[in-house]
Amino acid sequence: MAARPAQPRPAGDGKEDAVKGREAPGPAALHDCRVVESRPVGAYRLISFVCREIAAAARPGQFVMVRESGPALDPLLPRPMGIHDIGSDLISILIEPVGKGSGRLAASKVGDRLAVLGPLGRGFDLQKKGQAVIVGGGIGVSPLKLLARALAERGRSMRLILGFKSRDQAASAGLFRDFDGEVFTEDGSVGSRGLVSEPLPGCLLPPPEGEPAPEVFACGPGPMLSAVARISSECGVPGVRTQVSVATHMACGVGSCQGCVVAAAGGYVKACTEGPVFDAEELKW
Amino acid sequence: MAGMDLTTRLGAIELRHPIMNASGTFDVLEADAVLQPDLLAGFPFSAYVPKTVTLKPREGNVPPRLYETAAGLLNSIGLANKGIEAFMEEDLPRLAALKAPLIVSVAGERTADYGVCAGMLADRSEVAAVELNVSCPNVELDGRALGCDPDRTRRATEEARQATSKFLIVKLTPNVTDIVALARAAVDGGADCVSAINTVHGMALDPWTLRPVLGHGSGGLSGPAIKPVALRAVYLVSRGLDVPVIGMGGVTTAQDVLEFMAAGATAVAMGTASFRDPLLAGRLVGGLETLMKERGISSAAGLTGRSHG
Repeated sequence: MAARPAQPRPAGDGKEDAVKGREAPGPAALHDCRVVESRPVGAYRLISFVCREIAAAARPGQFVMVRESGPALDPLLPRPMGIHDIGSDLISILIEPVGKGSGRLAASKVGDRLAVLGPLGRGFDLQKKGQAVIVGGGIGVSPLKLLARALAERGRSMRLILGFKSRDQAASAGLFRDFDGEVFTEDGSVGSRGLVSEPLPGCLLPPPEGEPAPEVFACGPGPMLSAVARISSECGVPGVRTQVSVATHMACGVGSCQGCVVAAAGGYVKACTEGPVFDAEELKW
Repeated sequence: MAGMDLTTRLGAIELRHPIMNASGTFDVLEADAVLQPDLLAGFPFSAYVPKTVTLKPREGNVPPRLYETAAGLLNSIGLANKGIEAFMEEDLPRLAALKAPLIVSVAGERTADYGVCAGMLADRSEVAAVELNVSCPNVELDGRALGCDPDRTRRATEEARQATSKFLIVKLTPNVTDIVALARAAVDGGADCVSAINTVHGMALDPWTLRPVLGHGSGGLSGPAIKPVALRAVYLVSRGLDVPVIGMGGVTTAQDVLEFMAAGATAVAMGTASFRDPLLAGRLVGGLETLMKERGISSAAGLTGRSHG
């Protein structure tokens, strides 16, 4: 893979730049970052930490590798976390405590320090026009906040569909209150009862004459991504593109270990450096 | 630090400090693109070992390939690689820019493969040494690597020895009853050096389904969890043989480097720790100097084997 040029945003220029697309990601480095916000969001926890460099370089759909700072060797490795949002010098991540590693990170308190490697990976490609259909499931909604902001800044019309198992998870829909989202829960406790795949066919209609086809952006559990990929490939509207962000176990995050691979048409591809965002049609479902 | 000599030697290959990388844990060409564009010039390790290559390309094992255990990492990558021909065509020329000796790691299914691979590399000036990986546990579920059998280890080394005059390192598996016998077989076959250890056989079960987590079923354990196993292997092998030993297995801190050297290593390799911090090796060199100075040890050579008494 060729080296990509760094294009850091000048610090403190006072202007709110548009969120950048994936074409010019910045260089990654390991940073020691102070936690400045830690609060529960239903089943998840929102953690924000200070890192001007990553905030300046990060693109929607990119991720960071995060662990506690310090010499403790258990948990041993950092965990990949999608970048939920960025501020002028802040990075936010949303954590679902599922195991020892994510549980410890979710317990981070204000003032704690995190070792953060990033920004990493290829994020969403924002070059196309046409209506954006953003589909998130469970903790997979996390990176869609920065994506939605970037698309809004580009003036793209958007439909935002967020799906959860239960009320606890659906609390994270509140993080998207700047956008007009539709919420689905499997148990019907919040929003409509059902899966996010149900409203999707209705979003993928032929565009008005001369307009570009809709584009789907999705992040969530494997079965959801698989359903989204199938529905959009079978929708019959020419030119519909589907970008999916996959989640896998990672060790290095930088392309060294080959542990995070997913099956693509031409063989395995690395989620860390060739993804985590892929065109759905590149992958084997 | 004045008066400190951290240089060490593997045959004619001089290393500016003792810390190299373990094969498969650091991809400098990827890292050069992702982390910093001058990594080939400012390489933190004193030698570079790329991911093991085989005669034919290998897809590797079905995912999931990784699972973290207590202070350890289980992997079942399965020697995924593009094959030695593509490696020599695409990667070797780019690695010529590297400011550190290049040690190419090769593996085969049959003993003859080691000779073929070593022969292909024999005339390449970019290559300082060849590592024979006879110990990957991830090729068969029972993990019966060629390196579990002294006779096959000796024959694979002989094949490579006949094909090249380059410095030859045999990487040993800990998954045997008597690692010194395997090391001796490698030296009998013509090895100039042995490295110890490759990963330790291991398995993890999914807490809910109670099925093996790794797609391949079992895998190899690395990281701090295996350091005592590795340290003992380095101690035994270095006492039993007259060739230099490259020590590895859980090296994470400067203190670990110090201990592996004292156990008998001439150089050490860092693997899993690079996943915590890809540029850690460079930071450990200063720490190693401090620890040596505190103990009145002025050279890497004076540290090697200090535990032997």
